[in-house]
Amino acid sequence: MTDTDALRNAKRSTRIDAWCGYTMEAPPVSAMPVSGGTINMMEYLLQGSVLDQSLESLLHRLRGLCDNMEPGTFQDHEMVFLLKGQQGSPFVLRARRSMDKPTMPWHLRYLGQPEMGDKSRHALVRNCVDIATSDNLMEFLLEMGFRLDHEFVAQGHIFRRGSMKIVVYKIFRLLVPGSTDSIEALSLSYLVEVSVVAPAGQDVISEEMRNFAEQLKPLVHLEKIDPKRVM
Amino acid sequence: MQVRAEGPRSTQREEKQLENSIDVLINQVGDLKKSLASFIYKLENEYEHLTWPSVLDSFALLSGQLSTLNKMLKNDKTPLLRNQVIIPLILSPDRDEEIMRVTEGRVPVFSHEVVPDHLRTKPDPEVEEQEKQLTTEAARLTPDVALKQIQSLNKMCSSLLEKINKEERESESGGLRQNKSTFNPADTSALVAAVTFGKGLSNRRPTGPGGSSVGGQPNSAGMMSSGPTLQQVQISMGQNQQQMSGVAMSQPGQPGKMVSNIKTNIKSASMHPYQR
Repeated sequence: MTDTDALRNAKRSTRIDAWCGYTMEAPPVSAMPVSGGTINMMEYLLQGSVLDQSLESLLHRLRGLCDNMEPGTFQDHEMVFLLKGQQGSPFVLRARRSMDKPTMPWHLRYLGQPEMGDKSRHALVRNCVDIATSDNLMEFLLEMGFRLDHEFVAQGHIFRRGSMKIVVYKIFRLLVPGSTDSIEALSLSYLVEVSVVAPAGQDVISEEMRNFAEQLKPLVHLEKIDPKRVM
Repeated sequence: MQVRAEGPRSTQREEKQLENSIDVLINQVGDLKKSLASFIYKLENEYEHLTWPSVLDSFALLSGQLSTLNKMLKNDKTPLLRNQVIIPLILSPDRDEEIMRVTEGRVPVFSHEVVPDHLRTKPDPEVEEQEKQLTTEAARLTPDVALKQIQSLNKMCSSLLEKINKEERESESGGLRQNKSTFNPADTSALVAAVTFGKGLSNRRPTGPGGSSVGGQPNSAGMMSSGPTLQQVQISMGQNQQQMSGVAMSQPGQPGKMVSNIKTNIKSASMHPYQR
């Protein structure tokens, strides 16, 4: 706890080099790209949804299309933390813990501003940094001055096809803050996401993703969805 | 084999042509038989998880093979098979291994008992008898009665056709509806907004008023870099026209993230977000 106390005092000029070896700049953050190690990793993303009653058909098709691995299920609790500065948009970090596999490390994720790009790029691209952390991550973030903005439970299925990750999951709202015991589904659909994490500039991947998305039509329409449009 | 195909005054060339076309026919009939067998196998053994598309596939295959066979028979190059005469030369009550093999065990002997059945070119005697009865009956009808019967038959056929067409149209549109209902674009937007911005997730205000101020208020206050006027405008919009507010604010030109974050909080407070 002494470490975190010291960090709390230093939160204005936050430079957390010692922490997991990643550099992060707090406000104004938007001006500074966040890099994971030496390579700038980007997440390519396509999103869509499927109604509950068509979930089985989609899973069936994914089992056929994806790599021959044991199809996995997951149940995660994601908490989104904000660190606000005096100006600029707040700095957002996402902490995720597995509910069904409690021994797994927590997962801390930074996502940058999504870029739509032009028509030639078929997927949404955003900067991303992924770190595995210990289970006292939440205390650490709160001590640093982050505030919990919202949280949800994601429960669903995960598939892999080459470098592509396909997740089909339902989002649940927490009825009591912080307690995952009573949850309520957000909608009657499952969110479907196809993503690839790759070094920046590998737009060929988006082509591959589009081809894969074509194979899921008309069951699911995976698109690059501009988050600004759905707000 | 004891059967020989003989054409009257057939030349060498014609005979060869006949042989070729018979070979082709045998092949095609063999293919047809194979697909029939596999279809029957499918029906008998996989009926539990047989899907309609796969049954349709099998039907398509069969009908394709049948039509090729028909085309082949009608082809100019195929000699008219009806001009060929097949006569049994030897009948034997003994078991014939060769015929057993070519008929796959269906015909063990080529005797006087089975030959009339297999080489028959006319309908069965019972069928012939029935046909004769029908012909005499038809001849006895007066033209008036026949006309009436034709008319009623036509009427029935047309009403039946209408019914079938109607059914077809309905099932088609039903199929379309089913296709469309696998996903809902509105749900996609809602879910993406939820994972990206937490829209509709902060359920604190409706459940507990105590927690609400912690979750919502400082949050929107923190975003308020554009001044209080904007907040008031957005709040009144959000409360007066709950559904409309989404449309109004998604218009381009509105300040991006801050506005909608405020809207998010208002929306979740003023209405149940789980609304469809």
